[in-house]
Amino acid sequence: MIQPQELTTHDEESPLMPKPTQQVAKLKQGTVLDHLRAGTGLRCLRVLKLPPGTTVLVGINLTSKSHGKKDLVKIERYELSEAEAAKVALISPDATISIIRDYKVVGKHGLHPPIAFRGLLRCTNPACIVHTERIAGSFVVESRDPLTVRCDYCERSITADQFEFA
Amino acid sequence: MVTARDFLGRDVLTVGEFRRDELLFLLDAADKFERVTGTLLAGRVVATLFFEPSTRTRLSFESAVGRLGGSCIGFAEAGISSMAKGETVADTVRVVQGYCDLLLLRHPKEGTARLAAEFADIPVVNCGDGAHQHPTQTFVDLYTIRRECGRIDGLKIVFAGDLRYGRAVHSLVHVLTQFKAHVTLVAPDFLRLPQEQLRALDEMGVEYREMEDLEAAVPEADVLYMTRVQQERFTDPHEYLKFRDAYTLDLKILRRAKPEIVILHPLPRVTEIATEVDNHPHAAYFRQAHYGVAVRKALIALLLGHAEKVL
Ligand SMILES: [Zn+2]
Repeated sequence: MIQPQELTTHDEESPLMPKPTQQVAKLKQGTVLDHLRAGTGLRCLRVLKLPPGTTVLVGINLTSKSHGKKDLVKIERYELSEAEAAKVALISPDATISIIRDYKVVGKHGLHPPIAFRGLLRCTNPACIVHTERIAGSFVVESRDPLTVRCDYCERSITADQFEFA
Repeated sequence: MVTARDFLGRDVLTVGEFRRDELLFLLDAADKFERVTGTLLAGRVVATLFFEPSTRTRLSFESAVGRLGGSCIGFAEAGISSMAKGETVADTVRVVQGYCDLLLLRHPKEGTARLAAEFADIPVVNCGDGAHQHPTQTFVDLYTIRRECGRIDGLKIVFAGDLRYGRAVHSLVHVLTQFKAHVTLVAPDFLRLPQEQLRALDEMGVEYREMEDLEAAVPEADVLYMTRVQQERFTDPHEYLKFRDAYTLDLKILRRAKPEIVILHPLPRVTEIATEVDNHPHAAYFRQAHYGVAVRKALIALLLGHAEKVL
């Protein structure tokens, strides 16, 4: 069971608001998801279904220099796979991911929703064949802003707020 | 330049996959195939996998194959197929494709034709996948319009009835965006064309009008496409009856129409066209059903690479 330690703050003066660089540096090993759209941090964690017992720190509505409010998630001793990062990108398309090993950032880049992908999401159309055949959904990104994908089978368009993750 | 080769081995899953020049090539081919019978498809086997009954579509295809000397195997409903035993569509397709050269598939679930095409090495023709697509119906509608009016570009085409759930209307309206047709949509508010479709028309810069009064729309029409209000869409029988009888085309309304107006209907009809209209010289809905055989003959011959002798 994940036990997110929530860290909520509304201004930069707050003692609960460490500098983002410090947060990254403090993690010995794991993944930092930064610049998540405000309010999406917990949703990302729900979707990721991390191994039981994973230590996670969640910051909600932190003040970001460039984006106004943002969420931040630090996952200890766990490196997200590409598929997991893609799920995060579908929730928060302009987030960044940093992989930390031995206190060092070994990889940091912006997340981009895939152009076309299989799995990750479930088609929301109950009449779609994927449900009866029990196969993974297959989608193409139809629009990036607002993020909308289209099921390859039934061609139903699904907007980000309707996403159901597989 | 489109040639017969562009159709060889191709899947026919949605109308959106066909460009204007390809559609016109198919219509030209259907013109030539209208009177063709013989042994063009001798030795070829076409499978009709109909997981839900659609007698009309199946007979039309079987007639097309039969007239060209091919043969059909298959089933006409899910109850007698292996689906009743829990087999997936994917497995059915993998087995049956070893018995035939072409798969004609109908299924109540949306996207089934695409799924079948992923598992089949032979062409798949979507003969209706739920509310999603039935591309050969649209080809037949286009063929009928051109056959009866001599052209498609520039025509004033009025759609009336259930534009909300009518799959045939959605597909045809979509395809008409590739022809400079003027579209008028006549429906009660509840049965209007879905917002998503209207938005797509706006995005493509297509001009259309929406009206509720059939009588007011008729005088301008070159083509009047009537549709049935589908009873299965309503839970309240009174609601259904109210909408079913919203529009009934009769000779009185047709008195206001152009003399050469062409009346279409994907059939079956219920009350939306009075039987007195059937003898109108431009009541084309039964011919529309018959043209289906010509279009399907041409399409199957093209997909299997046997059309060149006729074209
Ligand atoms: Zn779907």
